[in-house]
Amino acid sequence: MSTQSPNEAILRQHAEQEFAHELEALKAVDEHPRPPNWTLSPWAVRTYLMGGKLSNGVDISPKYIGQARLMEIAISTLATDRALLLYGLPGTAKSWVSEHLAAAISGDSTLVVQGTAGIGEEALRYGWNYARLIADGPSRAALVPSPVMHALEHGTLVRVEELTRVPADVQDSLITILSEKTLPVPELNTEVQARKGFNVIATANNRDKGVNELSSALKRRFNTVVLPVPATLEEETEIVQQRVERLGRALELPAEKPALQEIQRIVSVFRELRQGMTADGKTKLKTPSGTLSTAEAISVVNSGMALAAHFGDGQMRAGDVASGLLGAIVKDPVQDKVVWQEYLETVVKERSDWKDLYRACRELL
Amino acid sequence: MSTHVFGVRHHGPGSARSLLDALESLAPDIVLIEGPPEGDGLVALARHAQMRPPVAMLVYAPDDPSDASYYPFARFSPEWQAIHYALGRDIPIRFMDLPLANRIALRRRAREEAAERAASDADPSEDDGAEPSAEPAEPWRGDPLALIAQAAGYEDSERWWEHMIEERRDTQSLFDGIRTAMTALREHVEGELEQDPPILERYREAAMRKILRAAEKEGFARIAVVCGAWHVPALEKRPKQSEDNQLLKGLPKVKTTATWVPWTYGRLSYHSGYGAGIASPGWYDHLWSQSGDVATPWLIKVAQAFRAEGIDISSAHVIESVRLAETLAAMRARPLPSLAELNDATQTVMLFGESAPMQLIHARLIVGERLGRVPAETPSTPLQEDLRAQQRRLRLKPSASDQSLVLDLRKPNDLARSHLLHRLTLLNVPWGRNGGREAGKGTFKESWRLKWEPDFEVALIEAGRWGNSIEQAATAAVVQEAHRREDIGQLAALARQALLADLGEAIEPVIEQLQARAALAADVLVLMQAVPELARLARYGDVRKTAVERVDTLLDGLLARIFIGLPNACSGINEEAAETLFGHIQGVHEGLQLLDDKPLQAQWQRTLSQLADTQTLQGIIRGRCCRLLLDTGAMDEEGAARQLGLALSRGNEPGQSSAWLDGFLRDSGQLLIHDHALWQLVDQWVCQLPEETFMQVIPLLRRTFSSFEAAERRQMGERVKRGPMALGSTNDHPGEFDRARAEATLPLLSRLLGLEDSE
Repeated sequence: MSTQSPNEAILRQHAEQEFAHELEALKAVDEHPRPPNWTLSPWAVRTYLMGGKLSNGVDISPKYIGQARLMEIAISTLATDRALLLYGLPGTAKSWVSEHLAAAISGDSTLVVQGTAGIGEEALRYGWNYARLIADGPSRAALVPSPVMHALEHGTLVRVEELTRVPADVQDSLITILSEKTLPVPELNTEVQARKGFNVIATANNRDKGVNELSSALKRRFNTVVLPVPATLEEETEIVQQRVERLGRALELPAEKPALQEIQRIVSVFRELRQGMTADGKTKLKTPSGTLSTAEAISVVNSGMALAAHFGDGQMRAGDVASGLLGAIVKDPVQDKVVWQEYLETVVKERSDWKDLYRACRELL
Repeated sequence: MSTHVFGVRHHGPGSARSLLDALESLAPDIVLIEGPPEGDGLVALARHAQMRPPVAMLVYAPDDPSDASYYPFARFSPEWQAIHYALGRDIPIRFMDLPLANRIALRRRAREEAAERAASDADPSEDDGAEPSAEPAEPWRGDPLALIAQAAGYEDSERWWEHMIEERRDTQSLFDGIRTAMTALREHVEGELEQDPPILERYREAAMRKILRAAEKEGFARIAVVCGAWHVPALEKRPKQSEDNQLLKGLPKVKTTATWVPWTYGRLSYHSGYGAGIASPGWYDHLWSQSGDVATPWLIKVAQAFRAEGIDISSAHVIESVRLAETLAAMRARPLPSLAELNDATQTVMLFGESAPMQLIHARLIVGERLGRVPAETPSTPLQEDLRAQQRRLRLKPSASDQSLVLDLRKPNDLARSHLLHRLTLLNVPWGRNGGREAGKGTFKESWRLKWEPDFEVALIEAGRWGNSIEQAATAAVVQEAHRREDIGQLAALARQALLADLGEAIEPVIEQLQARAALAADVLVLMQAVPELARLARYGDVRKTAVERVDTLLDGLLARIFIGLPNACSGINEEAAETLFGHIQGVHEGLQLLDDKPLQAQWQRTLSQLADTQTLQGIIRGRCCRLLLDTGAMDEEGAARQLGLALSRGNEPGQSSAWLDGFLRDSGQLLIHDHALWQLVDQWVCQLPEETFMQVIPLLRRTFSSFEAAERRQMGERVKRGPMALGSTNDHPGEFDRARAEATLPLLSRLLGLEDSE
């Protein structure tokens, strides 16, 4: 058995570790002005995210595949010391982008606050080491800084994941930090003022159930960049196909590889309902309440394959995916059912090569 | 004598600004402007007090007004500014280009040749479907500017020009730069041009040189020439005069007329006869009107537009948007934020990343909604000419006094008159009023009241922006209106108007819009509103010889949605809402009766019986559903009696029972008189009501019964007086009737029913 370096044994490396050589190469050729406390200039950060070839021959791999425009807005936002909110459906690379932005701008993507429903104010501000607090009374030494406070003191980026899952009262503790760039510590009658380079990148889902909508006061302090779902049918079909193949192998499903057509059909249904319009742009549709993310399309194909393997002839057919589609689309038993029925009657029924899908879906309603 | 050629971009505010500065310092004694020489006589009107750009100079062939070219001008067009500069200083202005008289003739010849070729082409399989272009293409093969833009690292030439020329703030030596660039460019592409000489281009430039030479010969000292940048080298490096004359000799010619018409920024934003459409007239207008900082006033306008729509935008938003736009511009290596940066900033800061409200900005500000005006003295427009021609042809004289006119739509001339009147109404020229089929007079008669008002002329001039013939203009107006209207009922009415006006091409967009709105309408009620109107269209449309297949498909879609959504829409509503639904169900039912479509009717009946059986719905709806089912024969009398019995049984709350009865009986008591079983059930129910409850339900019952005819009510009253034993005395002897007496009524009946032609 060969000895492993400590990094290789790690299941997943941070962005700044994994792409350290790219960041080094960028630093070497970067001649544009850098905002205070940034390790790279905005131009270099853009190259890091979108990929390209540097003058010293180093290839930078693209981290984000999509519109360069969005990344330019995100970087400019951070350069104007406004907070950045990455918004969008689950699975649109929000956290991925925020990690890489932090890695490229501050050289450190580890200052993260994971937003949950049970999070408290101390996760965004500071907590206390109670043993020291009781022993010595309130002092700076008894204070346990949060990642946000750490970032303030060192002038780096801090990430807040899933901001809309954080309870509203806790969210609002960000307002002072964002507008006055300071964190008051009334117990010590002092404050921590942000050093230049401090900023916040937050991510949030726009379709999650039970989100805590940001208050307008907080919302106003963020620039919002919406990361879109894959732009074309081909792009999305490819993503679904790749993921399904990998998952199928992991689960050791005996079913045959699903036909590209069937995947395309499922992705079309998802895309059309998500966009509220048929692919030819001729008919408008109502959209269901669910997210209809690419991830859900993957799971529909997966469950279809499992059904075909265990209860069918191994070939995924319309009947195998119908129940999965119904489950993914009809999240609200009243409204979504109407949406789905309308879609079946006005779109699926009219397509001559979709007859099998129409019949299979009708049977379930 | 000196000649100065200024290369501009049509509708470029930066070009306009630079041009004005250049003209000021040159102080020319004549200005030559690229444009149709036919417009020379009209140019003075440009300074008329009532003239408001955007306007277009329109040159057309009077024998066929649709054969026309538009030359639009906005206030930021360099040509417009040049015209104003010259008019303000009494400097003569001349347009220079190939006269439209020749261009239209060339166009016609090309069309005829193409038609001949098509006719002589015996082999139909070779038809590649490509329309013969009416005019030889411009030589901008691909886009020569794209070569320069590419060299500068831009993706499209439009944007390059915008950054380099239009958004430029200092105007020094701009025209020298343009000349150098264009000369180099033309040398580069000239080789290609010679292989395939673009004839029209050569004619045009020869004609321009001819007019320029004439001006030089007349002895003007400082000649300013304003033309598209592309033509600059051709006007400066001239071939021999005789060559040009030779080229222009013997060109075909037609008679043309020129006039001004009002224009809109919307129409500036796409390609017209000018071949110089721009993507963002509103933004250019802004660039033209602002002399200092561009970004801040623009973002303030954006904020105001949003506020007007109820989207709250604070000044802080504007401040942050300006900052982001400037940073973005720096990042994209531009000296100042341009529209792309401003849009990105607006969306990111003001709209929280949402893109939908940006469409509002696009329509309101980037394209803009400005509508031009032309003075009343403007020579008559093709639309007015077209109307006059049609009035002559259809023998319909305009008269200022009130006249009535009844049209028989089976006669071709009357049908055409009806179309004309309907089209004019759509163009906001209500010459005929009350046009419509009177109820009960059949579907082939229309009666109108005609009265011509003087301000119709103005309305016609205004309508000129829609098109050159009444039909074209009305079509365009309907399409535009369809995009504006949101209410489904209104759209259905518009579709009907379009059908009545025989605007085949307008129907499609209206129906599409209807479909789009209907798909998004969450409210089934709204869909139901549209059904009666559309059903009438589908049923009677063919009397007017108009295609209605599209209406059928639309109706199918609408009805499918209604059938699915109606049960949900009926549940959990109050009495007031139930009353509204009652009317709509009735409307849909009547509409469906008009359509002879068995499967649809069967589906409707299924929906109705589902409603009738859902106990939790409002009584009035269930009652009406039963009644409709009974009327169509989908439910037999026994079934109806069972439902009535159920509804009136003691277990129910009396208010609901009487509501059910109301729904069941409203508007017609005949059923009760003739069906003894039902009569008995109602009778029993009323009798068993305790006095207190009876007093409760009496107002509702009274309302129901008051909707019956007086005769019916009397019959019922008499029957009640006779008591339960006297039931059914009216028609108890079916076998005994006097055949001779019955037959005596037949002639009169057939006359009443119009079975016999009495005329």
